Amino acid sequence: MCGEGVPRVVRYVTRKAVGWLLMIVVATNATYFLASWFLDPRSNFKELRPVRSESQIDRALAPYNLDPRVPLVHRWWDWLTSVSLHFDWGKSPTGVSVNGEVGYRALVSAELVVVATVLSVVIGVALGVYTAARQYGWADRVSQAVSIVVFNLPTSVAALAVVFVAIWLNQHAGLHFLYVAGENSPGVEGLLPMIGDRLLHLILPTLTLTLMGYVGYHLTQRSLLLDTLHADFVRTAQATGLTRSQAIRRHALRAALIPTAASVAFSVPAVFTGAVITETIFGWNGMGRYFIQTISKNDVHGAVATAAFAAALTAIGAILADIATVFLDPRVRVS
Amino acid sequence: MTLATPLPVPVPPADAEPVLSVRDLRISFPSEAGTVEAVRGVSFDLLPGRTLCIVGESGSGKSATAMGIMGLLPPTADLRGQVLLGGQGLIGLDDRALSKIRGNSIGMVFQDPLSALTPIFSVGRLLSDALRVHQDLTKRAAWEQAVELLDLVGIPDPRGRATAFPHEFSGGMRQRVVIAMAMANRPSVLVADEPTTALDVTVQAQILDVLRLAQQETGAGLVLITHDLGVVAGHADDVAVMYAGRIVEHAGVEELFHRPTMPYTARLLAVVPTVDGGTRRPLVPIGGEPPALVGLPDGCPFAPRCAVALDACRSDEPEPRHLTGHGHVACLRATEIVNGSLDPTGDAAPVGLPAPSGRAEAGEVVLRVEDLVKTFPLTKGALLKRRVGTLHAVNRVSFDLRAGETLGLVGESGSGKTTTLLEILRLRQPEGGRIEISGTDVGTIASSARVRELRQDVQLVMQDPLGALDPRMTVFHLLAEPLRAIGRDRESTRARVRELLTLVGLDDSVSDRFPAALSGGQRQRVGIARALATEPKLLALDEPLSALDVSVQAGVINLLARLKRELGLAYLVVAHDLAVVRYISDRIAVMYLGHIVETGDTEAIFSDPKHPYTRALLSAIPIPDPERERTRERVVLKGEQPNAARMPTGCVFVDRCPLYRLADEELRHRCRTQPPMPTSAAELPGHQYACHGV
Amino acid sequence: MTTDATTDAPASPTAEQAPEAAGTARAHSNLGLGRLYLRRFLRNHPAVGGVVIFVLLVLFGAFGGRFTSYAYTDADFTALTQPPSSRHWFGTNQGGNDIYACAVHGLQRSLMIAVSVSVLTIVLAAIIGSGAAYFGGRVERVTLAAIHFLLIVPSFLILALVSHRLAGDWRVLIIVLTVFGWMSTARVIWSVSTSLRERDYVKAAEFMGVRPLRIIFRHIIPNLGSLLIVNLTLGVVATVLSETALSFLGFGVQTPDVSLGTMLADGASTVTSAPWLFAFPAGLVVLLTVSMTFIGDGLRDALDPTSATGSAGGRR
Repeated sequence: MCGEGVPRVVRYVTRKAVGWLLMIVVATNATYFLASWFLDPRSNFKELRPVRSESQIDRALAPYNLDPRVPLVHRWWDWLTSVSLHFDWGKSPTGVSVNGEVGYRALVSAELVVVATVLSVVIGVALGVYTAARQYGWADRVSQAVSIVVFNLPTSVAALAVVFVAIWLNQHAGLHFLYVAGENSPGVEGLLPMIGDRLLHLILPTLTLTLMGYVGYHLTQRSLLLDTLHADFVRTAQATGLTRSQAIRRHALRAALIPTAASVAFSVPAVFTGAVITETIFGWNGMGRYFIQTISKNDVHGAVATAAFAAALTAIGAILADIATVFLDPRVRVS
Repeated sequence: MTLATPLPVPVPPADAEPVLSVRDLRISFPSEAGTVEAVRGVSFDLLPGRTLCIVGESGSGKSATAMGIMGLLPPTADLRGQVLLGGQGLIGLDDRALSKIRGNSIGMVFQDPLSALTPIFSVGRLLSDALRVHQDLTKRAAWEQAVELLDLVGIPDPRGRATAFPHEFSGGMRQRVVIAMAMANRPSVLVADEPTTALDVTVQAQILDVLRLAQQETGAGLVLITHDLGVVAGHADDVAVMYAGRIVEHAGVEELFHRPTMPYTARLLAVVPTVDGGTRRPLVPIGGEPPALVGLPDGCPFAPRCAVALDACRSDEPEPRHLTGHGHVACLRATEIVNGSLDPTGDAAPVGLPAPSGRAEAGEVVLRVEDLVKTFPLTKGALLKRRVGTLHAVNRVSFDLRAGETLGLVGESGSGKTTTLLEILRLRQPEGGRIEISGTDVGTIASSARVRELRQDVQLVMQDPLGALDPRMTVFHLLAEPLRAIGRDRESTRARVRELLTLVGLDDSVSDRFPAALSGGQRQRVGIARALATEPKLLALDEPLSALDVSVQAGVINLLARLKRELGLAYLVVAHDLAVVRYISDRIAVMYLGHIVETGDTEAIFSDPKHPYTRALLSAIPIPDPERERTRERVVLKGEQPNAARMPTGCVFVDRCPLYRLADEELRHRCRTQPPMPTSAAELPGHQYACHGV
Repeated sequence: MTTDATTDAPASPTAEQAPEAAGTARAHSNLGLGRLYLRRFLRNHPAVGGVVIFVLLVLFGAFGGRFTSYAYTDADFTALTQPPSSRHWFGTNQGGNDIYACAVHGLQRSLMIAVSVSVLTIVLAAIIGSGAAYFGGRVERVTLAAIHFLLIVPSFLILALVSHRLAGDWRVLIIVLTVFGWMSTARVIWSVSTSLRERDYVKAAEFMGVRPLRIIFRHIIPNLGSLLIVNLTLGVVATVLSETALSFLGFGVQTPDVSLGTMLADGASTVTSAPWLFAFPAGLVVLLTVSMTFIGDGLRDALDPTSATGSAGGRR
């Protein structure tokens, strides 16, 4: 990194971040209005017995700034001031703090997604590099076919296939450590057994997420490398006396990894937003499931906070991707 | 500044063992249309210290030959024959064994220096890696050697620049780095594949000198692949002419240029425009196009284009035969030709060129440009763009152009010639100065309808005919488009398209073809026809010939001359190839860093160039005649054209000027501080130049 | 928020330079461009297989209902949760609905949604993307800002909100999926168009006085051709996957209407006890998406011979 490069990057990142922040603010407020318009917290009370009157319901919602009798603009203003002054994102229609929920569930999601992301990147990139160097070989054809099929599986189908196989294994092979639901088993005591138990619960969802995640890295890395394989500079490297595979490893691969690094940087923050369908199927209470619950339970504040959280992480990802490119690619770095 | 250096002719050892022998090399590729036989039995020997030039047009198989020798062909290629390097056979070796030889005993210089270097490594790293592949060196020692090599190939401040990345170098400097990499391990053979094609002519001269230096340093034999017969004349000891995948003539450079024996060679030499000599030779176009290499018919592949072909030529392909005192020639009539009883060019009369000198009678002024200025903001940084300065692309340029006249704008890339052209074609108020077309000041036009009307008068022919024609439109639709834009109805459009095709010498049947199905020459004819559709008065031609093969160029040059005569057009030609410009221009304006430094009648400029830059530019062009090319005085400019961002306050050429270096203090001061004003040459009022020192 | 997984990186079209020797282009001179494309496409066996499967699926969706007397809404109370039999070819669900009839209808519904969304998206994206690239300047900046904004708005949330409220009318779903689905395609088209914009033939058209809109529709969009067609087929895949995900979570098509996604959601809970409820729709979805992907790949190779797999030299 050349001397004056670092402050320039800082300035660049700051400027970008301000732009993203503005967009997030606008997007979040727009989501607030949309959510208030589409979600009706009163309907949660409609099925409760004994039947409550309209005013009873409204009174019950009032403490959470969800009283439909208050004009929407007022509610919005109260919500906005509480968010910007106290960073308090409000309460659900049952009075649960959104901040607390998001904080806890983001960690649950991260626990679920981190390992899967790492595995996806490692497996996907390795496979992409391996197969690109052997284009049209049998390994390439087989893995390409597998990846195309996996790429086209709906997550629900893939996850349930994993569940199905796991249950079959449990029944026929007498395995008992493949848990198909939940984050942990009730009644496990002690620190180490608890960690072990949680890890066992992680196996199947991680497998599912890795399956869904590696494909993208495999297919893109393969085509990126194929693009650079035929670059003139690889031929020059061969002309200096490298074998084809050395030239690919030392010259083509380095260049082809730069965009992948950027895309990894982009996806890192997304581990906190979780995986909606996988969490739903395996019964993990992460962000993904929280998001579904906020909508089905008409939790305006929860839905808006989830949206803002996701937007912020997208922005962070985009900035990280830019920084990664700047540090890895001299063509962007200097000049 | 190196004045007056006749090219040093290396003295090759008379009867040394060849360092490289190629025997019956055959290369073919599978393709959609069938097997492409790129190389069909090539044989030659290369002696140490000697230079063999392989010359040919695109598709003749010369680059495939180079890649075949290096073992760098794509895996789908089928390679047969023998390549012996110092007695060791290379064909059939696996990649690992070949890699011990590549870069060690044989080094290669590639055509496009912009893409030949790995963008993510510093040039020092690239060079020291190249050294460490074959030599057991510490990183530090390799780096030191890398710096020495950079110094040797003429990179200024080699130690500082070694840490820079390839994209921070100009094309010429990158090519120097590529040469340094090729010679790093002192190979016994250097292969250079069109090493200067992508570079400016003044830089070409420098790079060829560096290549010669590399050859002297290493004592290597050099295989120089080129399409430029001037380069061949200056650098070759032996010449192999390739046509349709075979060597059709192989002889010493003197013999080949003195008595070209294969009709193809003879016609090729007759068709190359030259810059030297008193009068312009008329160009005799060869006619036809080089054949496709798929399913070649029997017989000599040149026979369909040959003026002296016999019936036997069409049935059997002649093998190369040795002719005493000449070399090898693959022609049935070689004996007749070499003993002088047959003229290989046949009796094809030179197709009429307009009276070579003397302007066509001057018509009305079609274009007047006064003090044209164009600047671009200069930004830095790929992510965070900051304006760091102003690029003065065009700086107070003035000229006028009359009907029936051709003005050639010449200069190196970055001299502002194309920008000038595009500013004129924009038909808007320029940033500074005035542009008048047929008496109308374009700055005063208010309505866009009037601009559209004026557009009919000014049309453009672009450099790359393939790029300029939309690949998804047929020739008919391409030609109809400008007519549609001016609101012609369907019926008259149809008639006009037919008329245009006839005008440029194309058959009606091409009108439903796509550009990809046309040959290079046909495409450029379509480009010209399209420009003529609206019956313009002024045709702007941006490097109209540089994308074409030499054998096809002449036909287009003659077409342009005929059209000018018949239609009374005015041409504004932008070109870097002075030899070509000479053939089509009545007047020439030489541009440097956005300024016109010299302007005058073509013959005046060529016979008596005044400005030191014009002299250097003319001198940089190699002449396709070994005798004259090797004895003439050459002015090789040091350095490259600077960036137009930091404009000197005085003369723009001061940094590279050979006269400045010889000048006294008083004159130097003037050159540095005062921009020179155009002055007229004593004898010719139209010949103006801007120099304090002449 | 992504529907799932952690990346959304599709296989991007590649531009590997095929070692095409001089002269091949000319050799095609007498072969029509269309026939050349067709020949290249037919040589690609997976792509041809994809077409066959896709056509069969369309026929199944259109005429499959003729072979059963049950409608997807009929409930056969004499056969609740029955495995496949001669009476109910694909079995029945808990409510006694014939799964075969449901599958035919669901496939029809899913196809309808996928094809319309994909076509609408590509049209919208092509016009916006190429327009922004061609006009440049302020138009471009505003368009890109809008695209970035829409990308950061969690479109999945809005999809869920809207369809939650509008109770799963499939026509509304089409509109919503289009409105929030065009951005990334538009961005790709924009970036390719910016390079097309610099092509000589576009400049030539400008210098001939051709009007901007005509340049966009005549020179830029046709030359995006292969990109658009490939994106159209991949858009079908993407839409099927989104519709499936939305319906699975209960935000897509709603009962009593049936799509492949709702069938997957219904079958998921009984995947061990009544696997046929899940297996048949899952099989149809996978056949649909895989066949479309093969078609897309085949089209890319046929239309764009410089793409990675398009070089004849590289194949067999």
